[in-house]
Amino acid sequence: MSGEILRVDNLWKSYSETPVLRGVSFEVLRGEVKVIMGPSGSGKSTLLRCINLLVRPDKGRISLEGKEVFPKPYDSIHRIRQKIGFVFQSYNLFLHMTVLDNVRVGLIKVKKLSKEEATKRAMEALRIVGIGPELWNKYPAQLSGGQQQRVAIARAIAMEPTIMLMDEPTSALDPELVGEVLNVIRDLAKQKMTMLIVTHELDFALEVADEIMVLDGGKIVERGKPSEILNNPKHPRTRRFIERLRRRVEHGHR
Amino acid sequence: MIFINIKVIEEYGPIILSGLNKTAILTVGGFGMGFAFGSILAFTQCFGGRISSRVATAIEESLRSIPLLVLMLLIFFGLPEVGLSLTPVQSAILAIGLRSMAYQSQILRSAILAIPRGQIEAALSLGMTKAQLFTTVIAPQALRIAIPGLVNQFTIDLKDTSIAYAIGVSELFTEAVHVAQVALDYLTPLVFVGAIYFVITFAASSIMSRVYKRIAIPGLGASQ
Amino acid sequence: MGIVSAFELLAKYHSIFLLGLRNTLILTATAFSIGFALGITIAVLREFGPKPIRHLLAAYVEIIRGTPMLLQLFIVYYALPAIGIVLPPIAAAILGMGLNSGAYQSEYYRAAIRAIPRGQYEAALSLGMTTRQLIEVLAIPMAVRIAFPSMVNELVYLLKYSSIAYFLTVIELTYAGKIVGAETFQYLEVYTIIAIIYFALSMAIVRFCKFVESRIRVPGLGAPEATRGLI
Repeated sequence: MSGEILRVDNLWKSYSETPVLRGVSFEVLRGEVKVIMGPSGSGKSTLLRCINLLVRPDKGRISLEGKEVFPKPYDSIHRIRQKIGFVFQSYNLFLHMTVLDNVRVGLIKVKKLSKEEATKRAMEALRIVGIGPELWNKYPAQLSGGQQQRVAIARAIAMEPTIMLMDEPTSALDPELVGEVLNVIRDLAKQKMTMLIVTHELDFALEVADEIMVLDGGKIVERGKPSEILNNPKHPRTRRFIERLRRRVEHGHR
Repeated sequence: MIFINIKVIEEYGPIILSGLNKTAILTVGGFGMGFAFGSILAFTQCFGGRISSRVATAIEESLRSIPLLVLMLLIFFGLPEVGLSLTPVQSAILAIGLRSMAYQSQILRSAILAIPRGQIEAALSLGMTKAQLFTTVIAPQALRIAIPGLVNQFTIDLKDTSIAYAIGVSELFTEAVHVAQVALDYLTPLVFVGAIYFVITFAASSIMSRVYKRIAIPGLGASQ
Repeated sequence: MGIVSAFELLAKYHSIFLLGLRNTLILTATAFSIGFALGITIAVLREFGPKPIRHLLAAYVEIIRGTPMLLQLFIVYYALPAIGIVLPPIAAAILGMGLNSGAYQSEYYRAAIRAIPRGQYEAALSLGMTTRQLIEVLAIPMAVRIAFPSMVNELVYLLKYSSIAYFLTVIELTYAGKIVGAETFQYLEVYTIIAIIYFALSMAIVRFCKFVESRIRVPGLGAPEATRGLI
């Protein structure tokens, strides 16, 4: 069960002349959890969106399980995306669908499973994230942020992706709701789900990450074991950034 | 009302009501055509290439700035010059349909644009194709958002079928005017058809709000 | 159809086209002004007036919005003489359009009055203003600014619907087209010219109003534009 799931080589992306990613390279191995940190505007969101091709990179190479995704996709883009689970900062549940429909729509429409099979799998996924049957017929707007994000995670894992990308999954949540979502992600990590997570939850990263990469100005300025990065950052910018995050936590801001 | 002559209604009411048939044909035909082509236009503007979306916008804007009456006269009296002779009913449906298309395209376009970007990103991230994205996410959300605007357009189309009087379509209003000329009483037939228009528009909007409440989904731009 | 023949038509019949243009502009402008005065009055009375008047005006607005404008014009022109009010065609058209526009405009101003933040009213009342002062100093000036985009829409709407005066034989643009068409049988050219004139006029109105809006705009005050209101 080892091997390389994702490889990103020298990735570049600019928005109208403004460079956002400037030669980013890294890899994620099977069962690994990698955390990306970095100040706002450092290109974290763009990086994740490049990997599932919601944003088209300018230059570089991306491959999934050894097969090229960019620049020459080995298959159609929508089929590649089925293998990459994506969890958004703002959940992005489909507003016109119930919880259950949100989780099974991908299985029915994209994976073409029968309704029964899709429903069965969706229910399993919802149980994994701790969303009970009493919520299955509710609409997203009737749920708390934490519940919505857990449903969004269920929607992604129901597709049985080979890797999950999470874009600041807890930063839109009220402080008291962060824990329930992090617990779900922790469980996924224990199940050896391969994940690439953008987050600023330091304790969480320390606990689950195999490696932390610090992105700044479109480049990875530092990477290493969580304990090294968080307790003994080498790069001055990393040091300042981590300090700022610590202060925020102590003062109860997020 | 003291000026309403019940006898006129008793005598000529059925004649006026016989115009209901044509009014219904013009309304349903015009609105239906407007919806079919308006959807295509809106779709082109939102998802089409640069040139095709520009063309769609130009069509929409020019049709929105021409009076329905001029459009109708142009079609009925003008098109025969290029060998295209349409009956009054066909001309009226085409004119109402074209005008309705321009407005419905605008209504549908703003509904599509009102869908949060994240909804589209989420659908694509699940691996949906563009067609799947459109049928499962964009269309159901946009239609819900657009319903009040579409119903409003329906009532506008209905009221404006009266303009087909200009080219001699025997719809409700035309029948009322004819009766008025015969009975030498304008107020009674006009108030009578006015009441009919009112009842239909009122019914349309109450049905709409009921449907709207039924399919309303919490959190989906349904703050009407 | 030929461009040449279109220009020839314009040149030969320019006086009737100009007459039509003049009457179209008169119809639009005066009907809009009547509609403005009526609309503001209805809006203020429906928001601040006594209950029976509110209900009465609500009924008026609903009846106008639920029936065709053409029918309203016919009632003014053909039915009012029965009670002794005889108006020339253009006056009847202006009155009918004005009564119609008043109902629609009142809805824009009412929505605008409701969009004024509560705190503004509280501040005015705390200064010791009477309801009347509050309406004059606060509600109307703010509502007009908020409703401005809808007013522009209404003006363009009236421009197009002034063509309905055709049915009362007012020689506005569309009727001018009918006259020229009947003489030349070049309906296609004539009505295309007419359509282009309407198009140009609406563009001009929109441009002009954008300019006016930039002059009367107050930072922090504004609202999304509305079209002929939802029923």
